[in-house]
Amino acid sequence: MSKKLLAGPYLIWMIGFTIIPLALIVYYGLTDRSGAFTLENVLAIATAEHAKALWLSLGLSLAATLICLLLAYPLAMVLRSRGKGASGFMVFIFILPMWMNFLLRTLAWQTLLEKNGVINGILSALHLPTQSLINTWGAIILGMVYNFLPFMVLPIYNVLSKIDDNTINAARDLGADSFQTFLYVLLPLSVPGVISGITMVFVPALTTFVISSLLGGSKILLIGNVIEQEFTRGSNWNLGSGLSLVMMVFILISMALLAKYDKNGEGSTF
Amino acid sequence: MKGKFTSIRRILSDFYLVLILIFLYAPILTMMVLSFNTSKSRTQWGGFTLNWYQLMLSDPDILAALSNTLLIAFISALAACILGTAAAIAINSMKPVSRTIVMGITNIPMLNADIVTGISLMLAFIAFGISLGFKTILIAHITFNIPYVILSVMPKLKQTDKSTYEAALDLGASPLYAFFKVVFPDILPGVLSGFLLAFTMSLDDFIITHFTRGAGINTLSTLIYSQVRRGIQPSMYALSTVIFVTVLVLLLITNYKPKETKGRESLSGSSSHLGQTIQKWAMGGAAVFILASVTLVTWKNYSASHTNELYVYNWGDYIDDEVVEMFEEETGIKVTYDMFETNEEMYPVIEAGAVTYDVVCPSDYMIQKMIENDMLAEVDFANVPNISQINPEYMEMSQAFDPENRYSVPYCWGTVGILYNTKRLEELSVEPPESWMDLWDPALQGEILMQDSVRDAFMVALKGLGYSMNTTDEGELQEAKELLIAQKPLVQAYVIDQVRDKMIGGEAAVGVIYSGEMLYIQEEVENLGLDYSLEYVVPKEGTNLWIDSWVIPKNAKNKENAEKWMDFLCRPDIALRNFEYITYSTPNQGAFDLLEPEIQENKAVFPDVDKLENSEVYRYLGDEEEGVYNALWKEVKSR
Repeated sequence: MSKKLLAGPYLIWMIGFTIIPLALIVYYGLTDRSGAFTLENVLAIATAEHAKALWLSLGLSLAATLICLLLAYPLAMVLRSRGKGASGFMVFIFILPMWMNFLLRTLAWQTLLEKNGVINGILSALHLPTQSLINTWGAIILGMVYNFLPFMVLPIYNVLSKIDDNTINAARDLGADSFQTFLYVLLPLSVPGVISGITMVFVPALTTFVISSLLGGSKILLIGNVIEQEFTRGSNWNLGSGLSLVMMVFILISMALLAKYDKNGEGSTF
Repeated sequence: MKGKFTSIRRILSDFYLVLILIFLYAPILTMMVLSFNTSKSRTQWGGFTLNWYQLMLSDPDILAALSNTLLIAFISALAACILGTAAAIAINSMKPVSRTIVMGITNIPMLNADIVTGISLMLAFIAFGISLGFKTILIAHITFNIPYVILSVMPKLKQTDKSTYEAALDLGASPLYAFFKVVFPDILPGVLSGFLLAFTMSLDDFIITHFTRGAGINTLSTLIYSQVRRGIQPSMYALSTVIFVTVLVLLLITNYKPKETKGRESLSGSSSHLGQTIQKWAMGGAAVFILASVTLVTWKNYSASHTNELYVYNWGDYIDDEVVEMFEEETGIKVTYDMFETNEEMYPVIEAGAVTYDVVCPSDYMIQKMIENDMLAEVDFANVPNISQINPEYMEMSQAFDPENRYSVPYCWGTVGILYNTKRLEELSVEPPESWMDLWDPALQGEILMQDSVRDAFMVALKGLGYSMNTTDEGELQEAKELLIAQKPLVQAYVIDQVRDKMIGGEAAVGVIYSGEMLYIQEEVENLGLDYSLEYVVPKEGTNLWIDSWVIPKNAKNKENAEKWMDFLCRPDIALRNFEYITYSTPNQGAFDLLEPEIQENKAVFPDVDKLENSEVYRYLGDEEEGVYNALWKEVKSR
């Protein structure tokens, strides 16, 4: 019984710094400046500019998540096939960029994509027409993919590496070809990792404001930018909280998905 | 056949790995190369140099941010480890229902968006009356770190065999002894990896820190963000190179040796496992040593009791650092200096009162807003004798927002105009701009940098249409909004302080900019030996004539020190020093008289005020009208 008491400090901490703060967002989101109850802040999502920002965020983050998945799954497969000894080092190489500061990584892409940036420099040296790469949707998706790719690779690699080679051999022995083995054995077994990876990429991508402001030239307003600006510039905390509540609906959906497909936390990133 | 097939597959997969590696490392390599670039521009190679490294090592801001970052990461990871490990043990022995609930709560900070976590914590700190600063960042980091520790420890706990623990108890060990002898060694790898993970997450966090930080506290992330927003210093590249190389070396050391031992699962593997653990502890020891020294230094900085303090809140890059040092030396007052980017960003910080600043430097209309909302204290001008150095012309100009000159001391003034790249315009065969409406020339597609602040953007459109920039007429505002929306496809980016560096780098042909940047720009163009020149024009329709002045918020704790600060900055020699650094027009007559005639006559820096007859000073239009402007601006931005 005394063991349960060990959770005491943690629970107090979490109530104080997770539950109460979230309750405050709900409170601010459902009241106006005078403190009276209103749904106005939540319904504000329906106005043209907020709805557009939300749809755009959803679109860009879904695209980024999909690209991450398409890049990460084969990568995880390759890493798995390299055996434990080698792949440990390989995994290390692939997550190493994570240790670079998030902002510096994004800044690096700014350097590459700018009008007179490195990529255009190379293009014009090859006498090819320069491209406008920065401040586009593509640049933002690229930034998301680059920053969040490790969050997709790791959980998928983790579940894949836990699959016993004998399981695959058994499938082979029973006459399955590589594709069938993949489709009926590997893929179903890796679902927890995939779902976990999707949530780990989708949530930060959906809510980012840094990537869109650095790689989007502040021309492209995502829902994260709207919320951030309500807090730091517009000083309308009620509206900001109301919009955060709407955004949390999407986060809750992701959490529910994760809970459904990854019951035992097998696909945890780390 | 089969062998050939596998080798092709192997080659393909190698190729894929290499492609991904290029994608991951190309940006980092670019930064490393740029860290040795003599030129400050990100797109021109000026020769090899180690200057940026030297600059980085001698920059107190970077060093302070670095030590804050390490300290916060270390303490928060340690605290999270203790709280998290205890919690994991408790959760492990819970019934499924309560376990699910607790794990649900644990997952919240991990799965919740950082922005929501950050904002919710900020709201909570303000509601609890905890002033934002080092400790609030620390609390926030511990909060989001605990789940990582729990999630690393839980699987290890599940693997431990309960019967060994029970056997230890049967053999007479106390529960605590049995825990440390039997269970703890088993879960130690989990705790360690939880620690490392928490440490990493804390190092890398920006968003949560952004919302929970207070005056004068920067972590590397927040420092980099503020630098990026106003044009990055290459010393940041140097810093990232150093960080990357350090991390690489550290991780290589920890990862290299265990590779020899393959039989992890086997019993004999446990000894190598132990060796691995020892190695990790040695690393940990080294880390503790480094951090202890960092702590000591930081502690000295913070604990040195400064009875005499001053909290300054100013625009980014808007003072000569040496002036701050001189002030500290002369007065013995410890200055905590903090920066904002726009008036709109500054206001809620002062309003919330989560951080109390003693002296702030907003612009005209914002000062009016603060006066009207009773947020400012009257300046006791008996303590600011040097106010006599300020040219009375500017005191008169200040009366537009501070009618009796009771609250503000003018610091800088200037105009807003169009900066253009002569060569680029020639290439596009566009005439140099004379009017704001030239920013709607379709030939300039993707070549325009606009200001990313609501009043400045609307000023451009309203003035272009021939209206007042202080209009509250709905029709005029709608017209301006439509005009800005029409301009959006032509705009390359909405930026604030970046205009300067982007224009120097030749990124765009025209940009809306504050006059004060001109001297710097002209010098830099000359230094870099660029083949184009950048010129500044105040459009014929007139522009925004602005003044930034020092004011004292009502809740200031060190009002007298704030007045000393104001007086110090009005001293002609100090104002001159400041002018030479920030190059914004000074209203200080004493400093002006000390300038070389060449600069005195530079009309970009010191325009004739009487020639700006169409120009206006922003007025504060009231909360409601401000809301209208904000809403319209959001419509423009979201298009």
